Amino acid sequence: MQQILAIARLTFRAAYRFKLVLILSLVLLGGVVLLPLVLEGDGTAQGFAQIVITYTLSITAALLAISTLWLACGTLAGDVEYGTIQTITVKPVSRWRVWLGKWLGVMILNAVLLGLAGAFTFGAMKWRATKLPPEQRQVLDNEVLVSRASAKPPVPELDKAVDQLTKQRLEESSAADLNEELLRQQIRIQLEAQIQTVPPKYSRRWMIDLGAAADDVRDQPLFLRVKFQTSRSMMETLESIIYDTAWRVGPVDSPSTWRTNRSLTANAFHEIRIPAGMLDNEGKLRVEVGNPNDEALMFPLDNGIEVLYREASFGVNFIRGLLIIYFWIGLLAAVGLAAASFLSFPVAAFCSVTILILGMSTGLMSRVVSEGTVLGVNHETGEAGSSFIDWFAVPFFKAVLEVVGFAKGFSPIDALSTGTSIPWSEVGLAFFRLIMVMSGFAAALGMIIFTRRELATAQLSR
Amino acid sequence: MAVTVDKQELEKTSGNGAHSDVVVAVRGLTKVFKDFWGRSKARAVNDVDFEVYRGEVFGLLGPNGSGKSTTIKMLLGLLYPTKGHIEVFGHSPRHVATKSRIGYLPEESYLYRYLDSRETLDFFGNLFRLSPEDRKERITQLLEMVGLAQTQTRVVGEFSKGMQRRIGLAQALINDPDLVILDEPTAGLDPIGCREIKDLIVSLARRGKTVILSSHLLADVEDVCDRVVVYFGGRIHAMGTLKELLATPDSIRMTMPALPKETLERVLEIIRRDVADDRIHIDTPEQSLESYFLDIVEKARGEALETSGALSGGTVAPYLRGESEQERKQRVLERLTHTGEKTAEEEKAPSEKHEVKEEVLNKLMEQERKAAERPLESGTKDKEKEEKEAQREKVDLSKANEKLSSLTKRERED
Repeated sequence: MQQILAIARLTFRAAYRFKLVLILSLVLLGGVVLLPLVLEGDGTAQGFAQIVITYTLSITAALLAISTLWLACGTLAGDVEYGTIQTITVKPVSRWRVWLGKWLGVMILNAVLLGLAGAFTFGAMKWRATKLPPEQRQVLDNEVLVSRASAKPPVPELDKAVDQLTKQRLEESSAADLNEELLRQQIRIQLEAQIQTVPPKYSRRWMIDLGAAADDVRDQPLFLRVKFQTSRSMMETLESIIYDTAWRVGPVDSPSTWRTNRSLTANAFHEIRIPAGMLDNEGKLRVEVGNPNDEALMFPLDNGIEVLYREASFGVNFIRGLLIIYFWIGLLAAVGLAAASFLSFPVAAFCSVTILILGMSTGLMSRVVSEGTVLGVNHETGEAGSSFIDWFAVPFFKAVLEVVGFAKGFSPIDALSTGTSIPWSEVGLAFFRLIMVMSGFAAALGMIIFTRRELATAQLSR
Repeated sequence: MAVTVDKQELEKTSGNGAHSDVVVAVRGLTKVFKDFWGRSKARAVNDVDFEVYRGEVFGLLGPNGSGKSTTIKMLLGLLYPTKGHIEVFGHSPRHVATKSRIGYLPEESYLYRYLDSRETLDFFGNLFRLSPEDRKERITQLLEMVGLAQTQTRVVGEFSKGMQRRIGLAQALINDPDLVILDEPTAGLDPIGCREIKDLIVSLARRGKTVILSSHLLADVEDVCDRVVVYFGGRIHAMGTLKELLATPDSIRMTMPALPKETLERVLEIIRRDVADDRIHIDTPEQSLESYFLDIVEKARGEALETSGALSGGTVAPYLRGESEQERKQRVLERLTHTGEKTAEEEKAPSEKHEVKEEVLNKLMEQERKAAERPLESGTKDKEKEEKEAQREKVDLSKANEKLSSLTKRERED
């Protein structure tokens, strides 16, 4: 441990003495404090969240990601290049300890910088919040600067029904060339549409289970977060169309059932505040919506309706969000060091930046994988292009997506800017996946290569 | 006196069995550098065998690019042999724990430019898992020894090459190594620094430490090495003690105070009876440039002239000279009480008993310390011995040069 810490300290000291810490701090503070001051919000709580949280945290994360890759590559490859590693590895210190020490040093630096940027972001946010108009401040306090967990209605199990219906349809049908897979898909879509849809003049009911949290939030106001689509809104996406909705919340036979009528735009999230005491004895919330329009309303299965409740203070949530960002940076540090374990500085930096970019362009890759070609599908003819590149690009992208998918899904910045709680379990999962598994893999690879490598160069007279 | 020392050494070398005296064994060592495609580019070391024994100063001699540094880097596990076998203290060079017994001064100063000298040594001390007290004590002594005690807060990157060498030397010795490997130790050093390094090497060897040094400076090798190998083109062309290699048994040399002309004539007369006139050579021994230079600096230092560069260190760091104060006390105590082995109770010797002998003990220790220091102080060497050395240097150096250049020639003809 003494050895690892000595190397970690040395790595940090190098960054400090080369003024990297100072410059990065200044750049971060500039990005976190000064730039948001220049950008005027639109005066709403959402605009505030956009600028102060999404924008500053993204800048912080991006800056730290790049500086980490640069530093991680530089600290190891530089030592090999300048020969200083020769003085270290002739000492009784295992090479994996050298590697780990470097990683730790980079992470100490990141902890300092992220802590600094986080503290300033938090301070700037509190300060700017005082400048908002009072009604927006209330929205901010209720919807943004909170940590709210969400509960959703259970997603109905459709597989069985789909199987049954498909079988039935196949038996009924006489057409021999009926594509079973296609049929199955269509049946699923139909069934889902049935569940999601509230037909005109009808109402629909959800039972949302708050589970273990029910007792804690019984006396608190809850928030219903809803979003719906209609066939018209899906076609005319530019125009916001307003629909009337009637809501009834609370136990069915209770006198305290709460009703409200709202005019809401389609295709957007809306929050409806529900007074306290609406949960039933089992901790379930009964929500009913009536559709007085002439059009069917469709609440998507994944995010059509959810109940939000306060789970922790925003400060705690903020720290949990920063922790997840920190784990991401830890993974990048491991990738950079692994590359520098066998490559020279410029090549290692190039490779790890490429990996970073590749990891961020998952959208493009998943399109390629789903279409099966890099050339894209002509949507008018339905014809897919093909190229010899597909032969290796598609499986390669598939593999990358598998790997990235394992780490993705942790999006703390989105959660923070919408006041969504990041549960400790997610922080733990992020630690396990990003640090233990993925960084661990990169570290094992880097350490093995670094241990087997010859660290002196051939110095031959010519 | 030898009781404690031997026991320590025995413990350290246990596990080596019969080869307890062989520190480094190299058999059939070959290193081929390959290019990216795995094609042989250069055969830097070619089928080399040698052994280095405990307590000797072993020199690797050869022109630039002859494979000295490559051999050393393989001894340290920085390069891996293409073929052949290396054992250092009975282990592979890649064995991590063995490295705590090795000190290495690389041919270039591979140091962190942004650390000052104290931080540099502290960092390396940590790699040896030294305690904070040990680190502090040793760093102070080492900086004193290499003459950099005045420049502790300057970063190493600002140092001159010679000063960086001095820090490099200090870091190589921070663990009080049993085997010291010095690659071109005097490169970039001023003559005083060279002399100090040579003194240091001699004193390390005297304490039973093994020193391997590579150099193309023949004077360095000749001054300190017990045994040398001469490399050329990756192969060993000569190996043995300096006496074996350099003796020319068919000629002798006499040195004496200047004689009156008649006496000299008479002596020559006698010699001419046996030897042809053209084979007799008479001259006045000259002082070597090195000793001349050292004289001047010694005088200047006497006048206390100021310098902003490295100061001459002089005395070897106490912990490198041998045991700590306490150990020394213990040792003298043991001799007084005539016990070969000490038990746990005896170690916590009753205080009255201790006090009774304190006076005697201190006197004995003082004597011992003087005895240990005397030969190490630079410049206080016996006049006689120095003169003798200066002469030997002149003659033998030219012989060695001749030998080497003839080797070079032969190799070229091949």
